[in-house]
Amino acid sequence: MSNHKINIAKNVMSKIKTEQIKMKPKWYFWLGSLSIFVAFVGLTIVSIFLTSLITFFLKSHGPMGAVRYQQIISSFPWWVLVVIIIGLISGIFLLKKYDFSYKKNFLFIILVFISAVLLAGILIDMLGFDSLWMKRGPMRRFYQQYNKNMQLLDNGLRNNGRGRKSFQ
Amino acid sequence: MNDTKELKDEQIVEIVRTSDKELYREIITRYQDKLLRYALYLIRDKEKAADAVQESFIKAFINLNAFNLKMKFSSWIYRIVHNQAINIINKNKKELPLLDNVDFDSGKNTEFDLSKKEIKERVDKCINQIPMMYSEPLSLYYLEEKSYEEISDILRLPVSTVGTRINRAKSIMKKICQTIK
Repeated sequence: MSNHKINIAKNVMSKIKTEQIKMKPKWYFWLGSLSIFVAFVGLTIVSIFLTSLITFFLKSHGPMGAVRYQQIISSFPWWVLVVIIIGLISGIFLLKKYDFSYKKNFLFIILVFISAVLLAGILIDMLGFDSLWMKRGPMRRFYQQYNKNMQLLDNGLRNNGRGRKSFQ
Repeated sequence: MNDTKELKDEQIVEIVRTSDKELYREIITRYQDKLLRYALYLIRDKEKAADAVQESFIKAFINLNAFNLKMKFSSWIYRIVHNQAINIINKNKKELPLLDNVDFDSGKNTEFDLSKKEIKERVDKCINQIPMMYSEPLSLYYLEEKSYEEISDILRLPVSTVGTRINRAKSIMKKICQTIK
């Protein structure tokens, strides 16, 4: 083992002296942590928004649930969901690759994240923020498009009903 | 030089980071034997174990600014060696031989109670026969003298799992060692 002792110390120190290996600067790790944090916050906001959106859809249901459910499926922004899944996977990958020093319970992090998102979504729904967003928030257009579609659907159903009556 | 011997690992790391890179040699001196022994348990090939430890010291130096000074340096460096060893094992799964008679000197003269000493001797003899998921925490506990908490940090397992695996390893060892004797 003593041979290894001499070689390892000698090899590593000579690489350090000749600057073949350099210490990564502190800002590199700060930047890494910051970008992961920002990505995580962004992901949380989008997920909370989606949860509140789903509850908004469910709440605004009336009769003809199956048809309205189809409407939700077709107008739902699925790409956002894909972005979330990709974001989660790459976030975990980055954390594992970059921060190899400390243990993290990823299952626990994911469970806490999902619970927090669900809770926040329900709270937003209970406090009526979704109605507010429908009027002025960043997803106003989407909410309004959904409402417009629903109105068109209602009108169509009503017309069909009338048509059937007159046919009879 | 004597002053540096009295410094804690974390203090040395801070000096290496800020002013004196040469002091990294002290870190290498403190850990290379322990890490070589640990890597050898995992990889079971002297040359590859030495490569893994050297590569780990290089990685540790490059990422030294990522080390949190509030944590234990020893757990951090053991974790890096663990990762490095696992990579090598995965690369050479079929190639690695089993070691028969390798002397794993702990390098310490600490007195253990009899049962622990006995277990330590058994671990020395039988560790290579035990599956790695059990032998690794066992070697860290009995041969590297790490606490459950430290093993939990190194292997990224809950402390309770570390305890369970060590207990299971002991009972596996009992059976295997009896047949070896």
